[in-house]
Amino acid sequence: MLKDVTFGQYYPVESFVHRLDPRVKLLGLIAYIVMLFVAKSFYSLALGALVLAFVITVSGVPAKSVFRSVRGILFLLAFTSLLNVFFHGGEMLLAEWGIIKIYVEGIIFAIFLMFRLVFIVMASAILTLTTTPVSLTDAFESLLFPLTLIKVPVHVFALIMSIALRFIPTLMDETNRIINAQKARGADFESGNIFKRVRAIVPILIPLIISALRRADELGDAMDARCYSGATKRTKYKKLRFGWRDAVAVLVLAVLIAGVILLNIYAAAIWPAAAPYMVIS
Amino acid sequence: MRRRENTANREQAENITPPEYAVVFDNVSFTYASDEPFAVKDLSLSVRRGEFLSVLGHNGSGKSTLARLISGLLIADKGKIGVWGLDPADRRQVNEVRRHAGIVFQNPDNQMVASIVEDDVAFGPENIGVGREEIGNRIQWALETVGMEEYRNSTPTRLSGGQKQRIAIAGVLAIKPDIIILDESTAMLDPRGRKEVVEVVRKLNKEQGMTVILITHFMEEALLADRAVVMNRGELVAEGTPEHIFEMGDMLETYNLTLPEIGIIRKNLAENGIPLAPCLRADEFADELAKYVEENHIHFNCPAYMPQRTPYTGGKEWDISINNLVYTYSKKSPFAAHALKGVDLSIAEGEFFGIIGHTGSGKSTLVQHLNALIKLPQAEKKYKESKVKKGEQPPAKSEIYVGKYNLGDRKCAWKELRCDVGMVFQYPEYQLFAETVFDDVAFGLKNFRPDMPAEEVKKAVRDSLEVVGLNYDEIAEKSPFDLSGGQKRRVAIAGVIVTRPKILILDEPAAGLDPLGKREIMSLLHSLHGDWCSTVIIVSHDMDEVVENCTRACVVSDGKIFDCARPSELFRRGDDLRALGLDVPLTAKICESLAERGLKVDCDLTAKGLCEAIIAATRGGQANA
Repeated sequence: MLKDVTFGQYYPVESFVHRLDPRVKLLGLIAYIVMLFVAKSFYSLALGALVLAFVITVSGVPAKSVFRSVRGILFLLAFTSLLNVFFHGGEMLLAEWGIIKIYVEGIIFAIFLMFRLVFIVMASAILTLTTTPVSLTDAFESLLFPLTLIKVPVHVFALIMSIALRFIPTLMDETNRIINAQKARGADFESGNIFKRVRAIVPILIPLIISALRRADELGDAMDARCYSGATKRTKYKKLRFGWRDAVAVLVLAVLIAGVILLNIYAAAIWPAAAPYMVIS
Repeated sequence: MRRRENTANREQAENITPPEYAVVFDNVSFTYASDEPFAVKDLSLSVRRGEFLSVLGHNGSGKSTLARLISGLLIADKGKIGVWGLDPADRRQVNEVRRHAGIVFQNPDNQMVASIVEDDVAFGPENIGVGREEIGNRIQWALETVGMEEYRNSTPTRLSGGQKQRIAIAGVLAIKPDIIILDESTAMLDPRGRKEVVEVVRKLNKEQGMTVILITHFMEEALLADRAVVMNRGELVAEGTPEHIFEMGDMLETYNLTLPEIGIIRKNLAENGIPLAPCLRADEFADELAKYVEENHIHFNCPAYMPQRTPYTGGKEWDISINNLVYTYSKKSPFAAHALKGVDLSIAEGEFFGIIGHTGSGKSTLVQHLNALIKLPQAEKKYKESKVKKGEQPPAKSEIYVGKYNLGDRKCAWKELRCDVGMVFQYPEYQLFAETVFDDVAFGLKNFRPDMPAEEVKKAVRDSLEVVGLNYDEIAEKSPFDLSGGQKRRVAIAGVIVTRPKILILDEPAAGLDPLGKREIMSLLHSLHGDWCSTVIIVSHDMDEVVENCTRACVVSDGKIFDCARPSELFRRGDDLRALGLDVPLTAKICESLAERGLKVDCDLTAKGLCEAIIAATRGGQANA
């Protein structure tokens, strides 16, 4: 039932992208998303696609895995984009039924939006495919560090997240074992109406909760015994390092951002005849 | 910033000579709740610096409370405790106490905070503010000490129990404590894991001079210690060298401990006129026996062993037959793992069958096929025959037959199958869920036979609770969570046998129990076998358990059946089994050691059979009168 779930879908290969500082990847993703929202023309979008294709190639992750992440929410993306067809104004009227007016600009905008959303999902997928949840936690902790100045216990949040990640596979195994044990005793989780199915979860949930509480209790003792006493005076062993790869990545991003800004300014001038179709107003 | 780097520097800086005693208990009492009996009562105990002390006791004897009192996780109600000259009850000193005395707990999974080995080992030093570079050195040193340096960047979840526990030890070592306490740290491990952990601990004591307190219910582990103490109901009832403790013999039973197997064999021989000097290991035992034979000029001639039963007799109604079973986890993903690589196995009705193998050998996957928790691919709804190119042989299909059920058939009666093949998982007490014992035991019955009249359900529940040795009237309306550990396990077993399965499969039925509990569970299974369920299959990694109980056993290794035979034949291949990283029972080791000394003993390798054979041999080949 839960056997094939691999959390975060991390794809374990060695690559340039895998070895980037997770902070660079996280900030890079944010920059990429901002760029997509700033972009005003299909030229910029093509540039974004180019960067995406380049990153996928050097990441060593099969393109199929990246596309798979889009498949699940494709319907949602299509629906959101389609909605814009009906509510986007413009000058080139295409069809009209009563109050509903469809403009060419609307269709162009819908296509533009669709690509924008697909790129965002794909870029996020590349992040989770190439970064372990653990390094993401480290990145969050490092990036949120300034908050400690206003007495936010960032370290405690990071520890909570790290422990949660640590126990996901353990509790998943446990859930599997409980499901199997109750199945062996004739429990049926796959048939019956919704109420029956919800009731069938009780024999899984109760042992799972009890086990989680027991584990928490023992973990607390083990942490105490290993001198844990809160966040004060703690040192940190792992330090994220900004290396030459990260410098390269930042450079690529900088070129991308500069490209988008330039394209935004000069988009209409590139091919004036096609401008109404290529540039989003 | 000034940081205290390690104990040695600290002592130099503060000019303190290390104390003579690492831990001192002075008349200590403790109770978890005022209306409960004392968990520890009037206990006085001193542990010298550098000593290796083992604390023996049955489950619930108060030995784990001891560990928690030392590190200040619990505070004594009465009396005084000193740890390296510090007081763990004092809030200002407790952190310093924990730097000196580290604990390794029972469940390795519940001690780890991080998903990567080195991050987890770093946790302790980070907490006490060690500098970054020094933490790196300590991780390396700690992992090397426990022999896990190559796993520095691994994920603990993918390691074996013994490996995980060694990581937990490294996590404690990285704090550089002077005392290390192992609180039943081996109870959940397989024999190989136990050996790994005990070996590390011994090395720490001998080479690093670390004070070790080993809390255990395995007598065999206590052997390594300089001194052993026995606890019973919170009190210290015996103390001395391990040899001295074992000489107590039957007295141990009154403390709910059992004699180690070698002691049982010696006792049996002594009662039959063969007194041997105390010994603790198989080779020592062989030496003693050889000496005895020589001194008394005995013509040692063992009669050939004749197996009394012919265990494998197929052709009955509830035979199991497995042909070419192949199984791969997470197919088509980067995590794909071949769990089974072509297993052929037959188990006849009426057998008490053992399945032996390491964690990860595929034995659990194998048994989960037997009640279709894992279905054969051709029995799945979505199954499509894979295309075969012309001229090529189609790949052989996996087949399983359990009695009348064909598990490769899509229309197999799955529910009936699961009713006839009962399965008890590891630590089944963790799967209890209902409000009362009655409801929990009746759960399976209500699923399989929803139309059963209430009176009959009640009777079935009563019968099954009584057959596992529980009193229905006392227990049926209680919450299962209020019971003791041993009782919970019995309730869980009752919940499976309540449907009267023809075949009963148990995964590690005795895991985590103390020796007495183990013995009780095995005798329970024997009372079920034949009468209640015709076939019993146990998955085990305890070789002594298999040899004493099973009529036949198979060894699963790397997804294949390595061998399948009577235990007496199986364990004669000691060298082959060791090559697989498995062990042989003590009795087989004794036979091997005796053979090396020219004394050939032929027997079924049970403790009783070995004694009978030795007695017969000393009488010059005459059978025991």
